[in-house]
Amino acid sequence: MKYVAKKVIGAIITLLVVSLLVFLAFAIIPGDPALSRLGTNATESALAAMRERMGLNKPIPVRYLLWLAGIFKGDLGTSYAYEMPVTALIADKMPITITLMIYSLILMLIISVPLGVYASYKEKTAIDRAIQIINQIIMALPPFFSGILITLVFGVGLKFFVPGGFVSIGVNPVRFFKFMFFPALAIALPKSAMILNLLYTSLNGEKKKDYVRTAYSRGNTSNAVFFGHMLKNASMPAITFIGMALADIVAGSIIIEQVFGIPGLGRILLTSIQNRDYPVVLAVIMLIALMVVVTNLAVDVIYKIVDPRIE
Amino acid sequence: MEKLLHVEDLNIEFHDHLIPETVVYDFDLDMEPGEIVGLVGESGSGKSMSALAIAGLLSRHDMKKRGTITFNGRDILNCPRNQLRDLQGDEICIIFQEPLTSLDPVKKIGWQVEEALRIHTKLTPAERKAKALKALEDVELNDVERVYDSYPHELSGGMRQRVMIAAATIGNPMLLIADEPTTALDVTVQGQIVKLLKKINKEKNTAILFISHDLSLVSRLCDRVMVMKSGYVVESGSIKDIFENPKEEYTKKLIASIPSYDPEAGKEAEDDVILDVKDVCVSFDKKINGKNTNVKVLKNVSLKINKGEVIGLVGESGCGKSTLAKAIVGLQPIDSGSIEQHEKYPQMVFQDPYGSLNPSKKIGFILEEPLKNLTDVTEEERHKKAKEMICLVGLSEEYLERYPAELSGGQRQRVCIAQALMLGPKLLIADEPVSALDVTIQAEVLKLMQKLHEELGLSILFISHDLRVVGKMCDRVLVMKDGVIVEQGIKSDIYDDPKHEYTVSLLESAGLLKKN
Repeated sequence: MKYVAKKVIGAIITLLVVSLLVFLAFAIIPGDPALSRLGTNATESALAAMRERMGLNKPIPVRYLLWLAGIFKGDLGTSYAYEMPVTALIADKMPITITLMIYSLILMLIISVPLGVYASYKEKTAIDRAIQIINQIIMALPPFFSGILITLVFGVGLKFFVPGGFVSIGVNPVRFFKFMFFPALAIALPKSAMILNLLYTSLNGEKKKDYVRTAYSRGNTSNAVFFGHMLKNASMPAITFIGMALADIVAGSIIIEQVFGIPGLGRILLTSIQNRDYPVVLAVIMLIALMVVVTNLAVDVIYKIVDPRIE
Repeated sequence: MEKLLHVEDLNIEFHDHLIPETVVYDFDLDMEPGEIVGLVGESGSGKSMSALAIAGLLSRHDMKKRGTITFNGRDILNCPRNQLRDLQGDEICIIFQEPLTSLDPVKKIGWQVEEALRIHTKLTPAERKAKALKALEDVELNDVERVYDSYPHELSGGMRQRVMIAAATIGNPMLLIADEPTTALDVTVQGQIVKLLKKINKEKNTAILFISHDLSLVSRLCDRVMVMKSGYVVESGSIKDIFENPKEEYTKKLIASIPSYDPEAGKEAEDDVILDVKDVCVSFDKKINGKNTNVKVLKNVSLKINKGEVIGLVGESGCGKSTLAKAIVGLQPIDSGSIEQHEKYPQMVFQDPYGSLNPSKKIGFILEEPLKNLTDVTEEERHKKAKEMICLVGLSEEYLERYPAELSGGQRQRVCIAQALMLGPKLLIADEPVSALDVTIQAEVLKLMQKLHEELGLSILFISHDLRVVGKMCDRVLVMKDGVIVEQGIKSDIYDDPKHEYTVSLLESAGLLKKN
């Protein structure tokens, strides 16, 4: 428990540091949000009034603390461009992106774990080699490219889904999940290939360990040795990678949302950056940071469960 | 009496290279129920291979086995895997050398001890647990409930090996194969494990095949011994015959390699102090039961080393020997006290020659590194010095171009010694320099150190848990326990007339105690 508490405190500190850095970055970069709101023809007094309204004339530390206090109250500020609360703006985008994340995580595990175990089980056979070759190819695919390929094959070719035909979960949940399968797959595929590879390598490494010999010497079947002893020991590198991959998925989803035309956090982040709509950008970045920190926290806890040696 | 085990003409060949390599030739062995047989030889002599074949654990596809192995009327070599599995863990059990790596690191001890019962019996979990606790008690572990719920990394080496023995004997096997079960352990623990195996043999009439490179250890346990070299059994017979009347050259060499206490060597050196350690204290913060505790590792340790003196520092692992060595060479900050060096650059030789050489650097680079870092000697002179030193330790110049992986353990330890000598130290601190080596290699490395001591007038602080090795090498002996030097003196005084009870127990477990 102490371990978990320590990790939680660490996570909170990380988020605070991120918030400070991100806020400072956007406060310091050149460009006047008031100017971009009113256009270059605006008079100086109109600009000053706008800055006053947007809260830009207060000193940076005060603005930071106000913003931070707002976060704790569930108020992420007001969007410059849409003139509505940021929370309302991203409230319906968040579930889409989180669904995409969880969806691709599940796909990632479903694809990589059984295949990795199977390939290692069949080490040095034709099946093993076939899996390895396909794996190498998939690993080299960038997510946007795998997205385009999937759209071409399953969307345009096989007509399993309508490219760009996003349906929100409220309208038709079945069609929503059916559609989201493909972008999730596009994100999951290259990552699965890497997890497969890691699991395969570490399982093959475990095979040579002394405790495996001991397990056989007690009359275990090969299956019992594989699933009862080796899998847990071999899963550590894969768990580390899954943690990192989750962080990467958040970033990857921004691109994939563009490729598949999904109105998620990624799209709003891109448009807000173009509009210098900093409250929205800040909020999205903080959300991404939160997701990364939470997944890392989960990975740390899983670590402790899997490997008792971790202090 | 019915034979328990009959092995005839066992040949084991590897086919993983172009040319097949035979590792065991015409191995014969008969064992009666309840008999203890020793199998002695260096690493690579084929003893472990033979044992694994008997346990039915050699089933690589690139390996060929010929001959017969019959256990209790059943053909082990040619029976299908599922029949073999019925025997494994039930009638034939095996204990391995390294208890840490041989236990599954992520499974609790209780789970692992019970494993054989789970596979071979229909006992309920409660019955299994009762049996496991009993088995842990039988191997003389304390607080068995706690051990049952521990993970391997939470136990000491000796405890782990006891756990291995408990797991192997829980199903009352007819044959217990012990593959170097004590090599990774301290001398005192070694003695205890040997005693334990003897007890199991007596109480349960379990036959034991005891594999070791240590002939003296074998002699304390076994009725009969077989000596193996390069895949052949070169000699076999009763312990008495082998020791009193060895026929083969190799057996004679093995017997001669057993380090033995040599009372002649002990002499007082001239009073010319090169190292003066006074009242040194060192403590670490260590986590015990989740709490940070300050552990005193060295408590007011004082010692002097004179020029040209060989000093033995003896004690079990964890007593603070290595910490003292590190403090002397400056790798460990001290809390209080003083360490006075009267000569420059005391150098260290470490225990594990496999781990202490950078695998990605050539030997030549490794040797020259200290010169590069600490002196402004030219490149040419560095090469010259490296050549000189590699020859001094009994290797040839070609070795400078090789990588550590291309060398044997003994050769690597020679390289470590050569590296320590590069700066021309007057004092060498050798931390268990031969513990990881086979007995015959041990003898060669010790001989080399003796030679360096004589030729270069080197002082050596020789750290070891093995009183036999120390007894052969040293003039003066210090005995350390829990961070305190409990006894010190001229070697003959310590060995012939130990004052402290800890020294007595050390001598006893090394089989060196004079009974009078």
